[in-house]
Amino acid sequence: MAKKEQAPDSAEKRVIIRTIGMKKLYRKGGQETAALRGVDVEIYTGEFISVMGPSGSGKSTFFNMIGALDSPSEGRVFIDEVDVAQLTAEELAFLRCRKIGYIFQSYNLIKYMTALENVTTPMAFGGVPDDDARKRGMEILGLVGLRERWFHRPIEMSGGQQQRVAIARALANQPAILLCDEPTANLDHHTGQEILDILQKLNKECGVTIICATHDHRMMNVCDRLMWIRDGSIERIARRDEVHVELAGID
Amino acid sequence: MKHIDVQPQPVLSFGRTFAIALRGVQYRLFRALVTVAVIAVAMAFLMNILSESLFKRVVAVAVRDEIRVSRQADHWIARLSVPQTAEEVIDDLAAAEPGTPASRELARFSGRDPAAIEQAGKQAAQAREYFRFFDDINYGRRRVLIGNAAGIGIFERLQDPEAQARFFESLGQMRAVRFIATPDGFRAFLASWPALREVVAAVREGQRQGIGQLHAKLDGRTVMAALADAEGAFGEAVRQAGFVLEPEEATSLAKQIRLSEHRHFIEDSLNVPEVRKAVAARKDVLPGDVSLDMIWGLLGHPDTAAWYRDLLAQHTSPPPGLDGDRLHEVARARGRSKLMVRAELITMGTGGGFMNIGPRMTWLAFVSMLVCTVGIANAMLMSVTERFREIATLKCLGALDGFIMTVFLIEAAILGLVGGVAGTLIGLVLGLGRMLAVFQSLLLELFPGGLLLQAAGISMVTGIALAAVAAAYPSLRAARLAPMEAMRIE
Repeated sequence: MAKKEQAPDSAEKRVIIRTIGMKKLYRKGGQETAALRGVDVEIYTGEFISVMGPSGSGKSTFFNMIGALDSPSEGRVFIDEVDVAQLTAEELAFLRCRKIGYIFQSYNLIKYMTALENVTTPMAFGGVPDDDARKRGMEILGLVGLRERWFHRPIEMSGGQQQRVAIARALANQPAILLCDEPTANLDHHTGQEILDILQKLNKECGVTIICATHDHRMMNVCDRLMWIRDGSIERIARRDEVHVELAGID
Repeated sequence: MKHIDVQPQPVLSFGRTFAIALRGVQYRLFRALVTVAVIAVAMAFLMNILSESLFKRVVAVAVRDEIRVSRQADHWIARLSVPQTAEEVIDDLAAAEPGTPASRELARFSGRDPAAIEQAGKQAAQAREYFRFFDDINYGRRRVLIGNAAGIGIFERLQDPEAQARFFESLGQMRAVRFIATPDGFRAFLASWPALREVVAAVREGQRQGIGQLHAKLDGRTVMAALADAEGAFGEAVRQAGFVLEPEEATSLAKQIRLSEHRHFIEDSLNVPEVRKAVAARKDVLPGDVSLDMIWGLLGHPDTAAWYRDLLAQHTSPPPGLDGDRLHEVARARGRSKLMVRAELITMGTGGGFMNIGPRMTWLAFVSMLVCTVGIANAMLMSVTERFREIATLKCLGALDGFIMTVFLIEAAILGLVGGVAGTLIGLVLGLGRMLAVFQSLLLELFPGGLLLQAAGISMVTGIALAAVAAAYPSLRAARLAPMEAMRIE
């Protein structure tokens, strides 16, 4: 198999997300719980990285931090060389709108909007004129194979179709990063595979950086690197070929 | 991928925000309807009390005038029978503007020139202020200050230097009493009192002479009977005696007297046994059970009024002009005056408070608005809580805090508008219905369209404002939510 990725320390690789000593403490009833205990990680442009770990491991917290949805208690997060902690509320909104696309386990489509409106909403927030937004929205819906169903509301679509609309919405403003939180967990085997195919296609053809939390072992077939989180810290990061060797060894 | 410099997110236009908010309301139509109902009930209550008080107010004003006219006869009979009291003359002096008929009348009775009357009028105005002061302080203090003197007796008593000294001494000791003038001002007034007393006495003497002159011309009639001729010779005699009787007033006075005479005649006709028997036969009751209300009922219809007229002609000697139509007219006038009395009773004690609805109603309205605010706040809070996930998602897509807040405020304003309009209509219909039942045709004559529109405007604006105020906290909370916080809560 042709390797797209080169060695992480290669000079051409550009870091798109970097965390330094990232910690997150939750305070509840006078008790402090550490969700993350100091995470240092670098994610490169164009990479497809899978994040694995049991529930409660701090995986979601890690996602929120690198998605600029929450701020760390300690340490720093850089997205595209910008320190997230330095941004104002308006700049954060700008960043969430254009740099990052979010895909959730439960789709989170806006119930009262059609598929197309769901896709064009982030464009509206980003200031794209209506006509352009509609045109581009149709193109992106075409990309996920739902061009004919643009007028349907979420309730009229299957889970897989909803997730595809969610992907289209995440792609609305051509983000550099796609953050997926268990994108296939609510889907059956076959539909899950379709979603994975779309993600892989986006990664290969458009060069979108994809960070994907998952329990789905098929993800290993499509990702470049795998990352395990346990008890709020990174247990290990490995390239896919290394893991395959191991798995083969276990077999 | 291309590199983009981070910059502030642009603000979404109000039109787009409004469109998105509207879609949200449409989607949650049922919940929205419940909130609308809360607002509508509160606004219906507000509009109901506003419209009812408006109706009552216009009726009260109209009734006041009409009742004054209907009591004109009593007023003139009293005037032409005995001279006024000194206090009444002082009231008239204070109220008479120079050059008006009332002022001319006072000048004529007292035999003073208009300038003297004007001067006396100023003093009389002061005297009235002092009367009011002594009326308002409590009995114990009044007793200490002026003993049991009353009216002009107060001024007479204080003419005595010793009594005056005691008065000012006691007044100085009463810390809680604020006298309306300086001691020197009051002393000056007391010094000028004898002059005013003379004018008042002259007026009363003039009145006495005028009345004596008139009574010589009564020819054995009562004053009331004579006044039926107010437009003719007797009116002229009244004028010659020194009273100012304007032609229009004479006309309406004569009309009142005639109406009153005819009314009395109709009421007395029931004492004629033949009439009573005939009515009893027609009504199929015992003669002893025939009541005045039955007669008025009969006169309510032109046909039966004509029948009654024939009956009267057979057994009594009706005064000239009392034909069937006139009987009917008298019955209508009586119905009207009954309506007036009822309206006067019902509209008593209206006024004061917000838009003249009275202090008690103002308080009730305030409490109901408060309850409504809590209700809307609760509904909005539910709406926000229910939509945490949606809010979080929108924030992930790049929505600004201001956008989220605006969406919720717009939603509340839409609910407020719909609820406000519905409530206003309901309240108006209820108020109109209730007041129509009480005042009947009187209300339609006086329909206060402009004021009602104003009240409707107030209650609609209140509806929107209430909803917006109640939604302020929930929407602020929604806007401040960290995106992932919201997702976790669900």
